[in-house]
Amino acid sequence: MMNSLLVQTIIAYLLIFAVPMLLPVVFLKVVGLSGLRTLVTYEARDTPLHKLDPRLKVLYPVGMGILSILFTWKFMLIVFGLTLLPWFWLRPSPAKIKVLMVMIIGPAIAGFWGQGMYYLPPPPIHFLYKFPWTMAWLGSPGITTYGMIFGLQQTSRVLVTVSTSMLILISTDVGDFTWAFERFRAPPQVGFALTAALRFLPEMISRTTLVLRAVELRGYDMSRPRWHQFNRWPDYARRLSRCVVLVTVPLLIGTLRGTTTMAMVADARGFGAAKRRGSLRVHKTTAVDIWGYAILAVLVVGALVLNHLGIGARYYG
Amino acid sequence: MSSAASAGQLRAEDVSFAYLGAPTAALRHINLGVAPGEVVLITGASGCGKSTLALALCGLIPSRVHGELRGRVMFGTTPLSGMKPHEASQLVGMVFQNPNLQLINQTVQSEVAFGPENLALPQPEIAARVNWCLDVTGMSGMRMAAVVTLSGGQKQRTAIAATLAMRPRILVLDEPLSDLDPVGAQEVLATLQRLARDGRTGVVIIEHRVDEVAPWADRVVLMDGGRVVLDRPPRAAWAEPGPWRATGVGIPDVVRLAHAVPEAFGSRLPLSVADAAAAVKGTWFETALAAAAAARRDAAAPSASHVNAAAPGAAAAAGPPVLSWDGVSVEFDGMRAVDDVTLSVHEGEWVALIGANGSGKSTLTGLTVGLGKPSSGVVRFRGRAVRPGKVFDHAAQVALLLQAADDMLFETTVRKELEFGFRFRARPKNPVLDVAEAVEFFGFTGREQDSPWELSQGGRQRLALAALLVGAPGVLVLDEPTTGQDAEHMRAFLRLLDRVRARTGITIVTVTHDIRGLASRAARVILLGEGQVRADGPANQVFAMTGDLIRWGVLAPPLARLQSELLGPTGGDVLLEVDELASAVLAHRSDGARATAAGAGVLRS
Repeated sequence: MMNSLLVQTIIAYLLIFAVPMLLPVVFLKVVGLSGLRTLVTYEARDTPLHKLDPRLKVLYPVGMGILSILFTWKFMLIVFGLTLLPWFWLRPSPAKIKVLMVMIIGPAIAGFWGQGMYYLPPPPIHFLYKFPWTMAWLGSPGITTYGMIFGLQQTSRVLVTVSTSMLILISTDVGDFTWAFERFRAPPQVGFALTAALRFLPEMISRTTLVLRAVELRGYDMSRPRWHQFNRWPDYARRLSRCVVLVTVPLLIGTLRGTTTMAMVADARGFGAAKRRGSLRVHKTTAVDIWGYAILAVLVVGALVLNHLGIGARYYG
Repeated sequence: MSSAASAGQLRAEDVSFAYLGAPTAALRHINLGVAPGEVVLITGASGCGKSTLALALCGLIPSRVHGELRGRVMFGTTPLSGMKPHEASQLVGMVFQNPNLQLINQTVQSEVAFGPENLALPQPEIAARVNWCLDVTGMSGMRMAAVVTLSGGQKQRTAIAATLAMRPRILVLDEPLSDLDPVGAQEVLATLQRLARDGRTGVVIIEHRVDEVAPWADRVVLMDGGRVVLDRPPRAAWAEPGPWRATGVGIPDVVRLAHAVPEAFGSRLPLSVADAAAAVKGTWFETALAAAAAARRDAAAPSASHVNAAAPGAAAAAGPPVLSWDGVSVEFDGMRAVDDVTLSVHEGEWVALIGANGSGKSTLTGLTVGLGKPSSGVVRFRGRAVRPGKVFDHAAQVALLLQAADDMLFETTVRKELEFGFRFRARPKNPVLDVAEAVEFFGFTGREQDSPWELSQGGRQRLALAALLVGAPGVLVLDEPTTGQDAEHMRAFLRLLDRVRARTGITIVTVTHDIRGLASRAARVILLGEGQVRADGPANQVFAMTGDLIRWGVLAPPLARLQSELLGPTGGDVLLEVDELASAVLAHRSDGARATAAGAGVLRS
């Protein structure tokens, strides 16, 4: 029976669509809009990481990102492991850990699964599951072992940057970012854009949640069918897409009102009045900063040297 | 006026302004001056031009709000109207209504430093300004706190500190109290008074909540139709109620009481509860008040309902409840927002839930439509458990009107808005109010094809309420429905609710900070504090518990506080309407006069 074309096709369709459909569900269940709100929220604490030189914090994801590109897979694992160490130092709140885990594991599974289906190594190809012709016409002959490993490697390169950036985002006040950017001679608008985005993204998510609640309170049916009620899913998709149109008007009007006020406030507080801004922050370089700079420099320089010597270097050919 | 005074004075000189494309002017020939150290209250009905005047006074008109401006705004000898916003804001600072929209940075300290940093000031100067601003606003202890973790009052004080960091001589605040609970409002007002007295900063407060601002103001300005119709010191401003009645703007309760019983207060109008108490202490008024309270106690039947703080919920009426919370707790991130609440609301009741910000009021009412999930306990509607998350199922039974009614409007016309819900569920079989009747009842006749956004703010709120009621719900839950409304709009809304109740007999549960208007109107008041029910009973008895109310972050209405101050915490009831109180006192005047004369005789002997 397993060999019949129909069964093979059903299994193939389940394999190809299960992950893309499950990931958003897991995201909504575990994180949801309110969880996303906490993701980019700064957690004020008194840790050495919070007091670290903001310039080093800006350089850290960039440096580690470079390492993730230069190295082969095995060396990459070491780099990824290194990016996890500061998390133990930071000890984020349990709510944040939950969200972070989903944000890290979700893309990892997606990358690993996607490449498993669509990355084709040179023959001979070892298939974990070969799709029948009824599915292969979509462009994937099946799930390959090599493709999955390749997907895992590529995803972990991305995760190095994700992990380092998240660490910095939740341990750094945006004002410190702005300060660091200005020390790097970036225009003040860069810092302001980042400040406004990080400050108002949680507000925007809260407002979206509120308007979605309001539409239900007005009698709009947003109830999700059970997974086995297949005949009700198309109607649910239709209701969901119509809801996006409905909530756009109040969201847009609220946002426009808010941005007008914010622009007036920024003007009134003198934003753009001087080419270079002053700063409240006086950063006195500490031993931790020196160690941080030294470790980052050793890692980057060491990676470049190893790369030059052909140790752990990726082959481009 | 001395030249020294005029040098630091903000003046609007014959200012008129019309918004771009508007058929009528928002401001008409305004002449107004504000000196450093002065606290000026500007009030008036919604749409009278108060907020436009604020934008003009701080120079954002015409630089950022476009339209036709005539006349000029001067600071001393410097014209403000032509300045760039950051130059003007170093003379006149503006604090907007919603603190969430004006806090751009993530922590309190970085928010306050933002302005001085933009001006490229040297670091020691920035630090000095930040320290001073945080100190004067009482936010020093929270300098590293994340903005998202602050309460409404703390956010507003941070916004004030950030504006002060530009070192303005005059501070203009547009409805700074509208989103605050009474205790938060007092924090902000105390900060502003400190600024005016110690920092010699001129403060202009645009506000509907005149009861709270009156004791702090040096001058009161009443606006109507874009004009200043009255500009006097508070006692002179309220000496004649005519202009206030004509514009539909509220007068402080203690002032109204003094007008109702002039012989008790003499020629000096009280502006605060303390003023009023001092004026009548030891007079016939106090004795008459005590006699009236005793008479009420004697007349009260032994079975009459009474407040019960020890066993909350005991004040409930008989019969099966329409809504009930049975041992309900709700936790957010390990914190208990609602803590083991047991309550019931009966058919046809009007219940007001009061409490400080964060006391669990909105969480508790949200559970009735499936918003949120209790960590323990059960919420029931007519005996059936409310299922968490099933908002669509429960919204037909319990209509919840959110504070931001604008967020509840989704359609292109008034008519479509009223019919919105029927696209997804069947029309009720026997509606008390169908769509056609609702159009007439709520005053939308002839406007059925208008866009909801063409209606006034009050009109949009009425529309959202009408749209909920045509679905024939069993209970109407209102979350802060009168926030930011002037006295006339609030009275109109209360009249509308009375008519709705008379027509439909619907049960109403209101979450409110509006102690004087909405909560006093409810038959039953429930006080929440730290997620628990702290008092539950008739409004006139709960508001007699002034000490308990303050403990849980609520200020009783001014008349209730006056009676408590004069009679002490009697545990009895208080009269909440001015007319009621004046009549009661006058009815017992002879007792009071006799007792006072006897007291004087004893003293003489």
